[in-house]
Amino acid sequence: MRALGDLRPVYAIGVGWHPYRYATEEPYVTLGLTAVRQALADAGVEWPAVDAAFIGTALLGMASGRPMLRHLGATGLQLVHIENASASGSAAFRAACLEVASGMAETAVALGIDKVIPRPRTGSGLGGLAEDAFVAFTHFALLTNQYAARNGVSPEDVALVAVKNHGNGAKNPNAQRQKARTLDEVLGGKRISGTLTSLQCCPVGEGASAVILASEDAIRRLGVDTGRAIRVTASAVGSETVGAGNDADASLTRDVIARALAQAQIKGADLDVLEVHDAFTIEELLYAEAAGLCGEGQAIHLLKDGAFDIGGQCAVSPSGGLIAMGHPIGPTGVGQVAEVVTQLRGEAGARQHKGAKVGLAHMVGLGSVCYAHVLKRD
Amino acid sequence: MVGVPRLKPELYEEGEEGAIWLSGGACECGHVFFPWQTFGCEVCGRHGADLHPRRLSGSGSIVASATVHLHAGKGRQAPFDVCVVKLDDGPVIRTLLASVGDPPQPGRAVRAVLVEVDGREPGERVRDMRFEVAA
Ligand SMILES: [Zn+2]
Repeated sequence: MRALGDLRPVYAIGVGWHPYRYATEEPYVTLGLTAVRQALADAGVEWPAVDAAFIGTALLGMASGRPMLRHLGATGLQLVHIENASASGSAAFRAACLEVASGMAETAVALGIDKVIPRPRTGSGLGGLAEDAFVAFTHFALLTNQYAARNGVSPEDVALVAVKNHGNGAKNPNAQRQKARTLDEVLGGKRISGTLTSLQCCPVGEGASAVILASEDAIRRLGVDTGRAIRVTASAVGSETVGAGNDADASLTRDVIARALAQAQIKGADLDVLEVHDAFTIEELLYAEAAGLCGEGQAIHLLKDGAFDIGGQCAVSPSGGLIAMGHPIGPTGVGQVAEVVTQLRGEAGARQHKGAKVGLAHMVGLGSVCYAHVLKRD
Repeated sequence: MVGVPRLKPELYEEGEEGAIWLSGGACECGHVFFPWQTFGCEVCGRHGADLHPRRLSGSGSIVASATVHLHAGKGRQAPFDVCVVKLDDGPVIRTLLASVGDPPQPGRAVRAVLVEVDGREPGERVRDMRFEVAA
């Protein structure tokens, strides 16, 4: 199997968002156009220069792309919709990377977009004992219990992840939650499931995010500022294997991130910035360990020491993560990459992790599926 | 209790002396799974007649447990307790605990029991499988 690094270099040249927020009546079209126009302006390129669009959306339904993107000019570009649960945006980003890296296109945009539209999954035909009782937050409440029992960690410790991430979100104008929270506020919030409280669970709202990718040829031809182009050095992906049990998200993450780091020829300890799928507090601890930032059961100690803060050893979820930035599903994975790009450019303002050179964006999606992308400043 | 119908008779049955058996399966390759199905084996891909029904013991140990305080779904009233159980016969499954509040912690031995609960129709009573701490 070939890796991204075996293909020609691909660079992120423009990023944009429509801020994540609670559901409104506004059509999805204006959310998506806002993000793409911002990304085009950021890259300094015009829409006709974009060869292909990969739209990550889990909830909008069939053929949502053209009614939106035609308002940028119906240029006839390749248009594809990609659904991969919470990792829909990450899947769209990978597809866009491969399209450019393979030489099938010179430029591409990955657009993540969703509105709050509940859609039941189609049943597999197999019954379950009480599967309706296990919504996402209860699955992760169980993982919290398992992790706490294994590593002797208290619910108060786990809640510290939310304190950090709400603090980061307070510095992010695109975040759904922009309010710093104390440990007492996090622990005193509404009890949801197990020891998880509402401020330890991500809000699912609406929004959009976009990243424009380009080859070296396109960067030269379009006159893009090479000082702001950030190379994508690895793309790894996988799905759950048999016997992974209740802990599948973490074991899958360990495997996928290890492959991404190997492709990028770095170690977990080399990461300056890490955006993880922290839909629930416990996940950040599990995935920080799975990424190799520390050994199993050690994440809580690093968190308490400030190692995961902006300015620490590795800024984990500097955007605020899913817990504060929000998890509008389709936009989430693309928005993570956009945050890493912003950090590596040194353009993250109040939430800038100084000297950031290399970052990783990680998502899991129901199933489970997992993605990891490494980006590096040249 | 005898005579009260089971909520999901395709998933569990009552053996001698009240023991509860889960309706699982085993593949020619040795993989043991729950629930019973003939779609195909997760380990080797064998399917159909290469898969055989197997009764699994309702004994196991807690992998994880939690009290659900707020439930996002219809047809189930919080609070209730849930668990992940590693069955002594191999598969890891998840379902409800019989009790509510202070659930048994990881490592604790549990066993499957049938408890009487409301059915799908108004006024209907059925028996459904839960786990409780093993005596
Ligand atoms: Zn088999």
